[in-house]
Amino acid sequence: MFSRAFSKPTTANWVIQGANLIWFLGTFLLLSFYGVETEYALADAILFTLVFFGGVTVLDRIFSFYIPKGSNNWLLLALPLVISALGILIHYYLLGFFISDTDFLQIQKSMVILRSAILWVTFTLVTLIALVVAKLELQEESQKRENMMKDLSKEAELAQLRQQLQPHFLFNSLNSINALVMSKPDKAREMVIQLSDFLRGTIRKDSHEPVTLKEELGYLQLYLDIEKVRFGHRLDADFKVEEEAENLLVPQLLIQPLLENAIKHGLYGVTDEVRIRFEAKKQGGYLEITLENPYDKEHTAQSGAGFGLSSVARRLFLLYGRKDLLSTEKLSEVFRVNLKIPQSK
Amino acid sequence: MIRTLIIDDEPLAAGVVEEYLTSFPQFEVLGTCHNGFQGLKTIQELKPDLIFLDVQMPKITGFEMLELVDDPPAVIFTTAFDEYAVKAFDAKAIDYLLKPFSTERFSQAIDRFLDQRSAGQSTDESETITALAEKSSRLVVRVKNEIKVIATSEVIYFEAQDDYVAIHTKDGKYLKKLTMKSLEASLSESPFVRCHRSYMVNMDQISKIEPYEKDHYILKLKNGETIPVSKSGYSRLRQVLGI
Repeated sequence: MFSRAFSKPTTANWVIQGANLIWFLGTFLLLSFYGVETEYALADAILFTLVFFGGVTVLDRIFSFYIPKGSNNWLLLALPLVISALGILIHYYLLGFFISDTDFLQIQKSMVILRSAILWVTFTLVTLIALVVAKLELQEESQKRENMMKDLSKEAELAQLRQQLQPHFLFNSLNSINALVMSKPDKAREMVIQLSDFLRGTIRKDSHEPVTLKEELGYLQLYLDIEKVRFGHRLDADFKVEEEAENLLVPQLLIQPLLENAIKHGLYGVTDEVRIRFEAKKQGGYLEITLENPYDKEHTAQSGAGFGLSSVARRLFLLYGRKDLLSTEKLSEVFRVNLKIPQSK
Repeated sequence: MIRTLIIDDEPLAAGVVEEYLTSFPQFEVLGTCHNGFQGLKTIQELKPDLIFLDVQMPKITGFEMLELVDDPPAVIFTTAFDEYAVKAFDAKAIDYLLKPFSTERFSQAIDRFLDQRSAGQSTDESETITALAEKSSRLVVRVKNEIKVIATSEVIYFEAQDDYVAIHTKDGKYLKKLTMKSLEASLSESPFVRCHRSYMVNMDQISKIEPYEKDHYILKLKNGETIPVSKSGYSRLRQVLGI
């Protein structure tokens, strides 16, 4: 208990030695002050300090194993009382063993209650202080551990969100390659390369480092090219990126799920051509991105929609601690996603 | 000749099926459709013997399209999503091909089709296909020549009518060939309660429950309509509403 009350056991030792010394000197000086002979005062003070030290040690042992709670709180007062009474009795008899001066012992006897009371109050205070400090120390430690756990799980979640690749994308792409192998072998080879480059991008080692928008756009283009092989007859995209926005930083693979979402909802939400519009510009301390896909207001989407959006929102919250960076608008024929990425200076 | 139709929204994917089919000269490819609307129309017009059907397609899924076909042909599903496999077999599909699939796997599916065809199994196909238990938040119905997608949250109540279920919404009544049992199964996580053998009601639409005769109750709905409650329906209602 006491060792836990201080961050280092050595500090605890110092404090306990110091307290013993103060206790010894205090007793000795007080007795001398009231005219007790130096020899007697010394013997008394030594014994009293031993009793004090012994009592603290016993209390320490007890409360290290058991900290009273709730209805057992009375033990915090009762145990020091019992130990101080015992201690004073031992002190009295030991003193009688060493000193045969009956006058002195008589005075001692009359002081037993007073001494016990002093010792009791001291023991109780020591116990309470030690318990409180130990508890604070424990709380701080668990707080630290909790923060560490949070950081770890946040890291893991971020990594998982970054690498969330829809398996059907992979299988459908492989199926397209399967189709091209016979009819257009060159095109099949090209798509194998594109798909490899895309997959390589999802398993980058430095994936927690932000990249420039320009770099991310190259990646988005790769994704779009693959999707165009599958849906070329229906899919088209417009990219409008301001020059000064090109070098702004974005978290890796943050925009890709949004593009995937736009393409998917475009392709499965309407039967006509799907034109995706992508716009990026610098606005104050933000990189602002809007992404639009055609949308049929009357149509009830299949369940399971919007996972891409919620995972991006979750990532933004983990990265920036904000929930206002991603918003969506449903216009009559267009679904629009607005994304703001804060730029630190 | 076995008249075959391919329905897939990815031209390349449809191309694979067409290419594989060239090894089986007894199959004639009638054409390729790129969504469920085209697919439905073409099936009704050309009455193919066999369709290769993708699941994930624009606006309505392959399953939803199949529900609307009056006299469904034999079906082989082709998709990259294996979560649909269970449903496909509920729908008594001949087979279920996971993209990308090999020519060997494709031949197996074809053999399976030919086996079933020679065994002459096609009597209760239509019933089983409508009985597929797809957990869904929407229903697809055919109104004359149009297809309408209804969100289940917009349904006030369902009413059994012979082989059909009448879907009552604020915009009107729609009929769909379906049994109450399979409908109930497909709506398990929704606000619907089977309050009567022939009725299933959206709980959000209930205004009050009134005693009718002894041991009998009726439901008053927010739009003023009333629907009957059976004895077991009443205990289900009490359980769901917590009264």
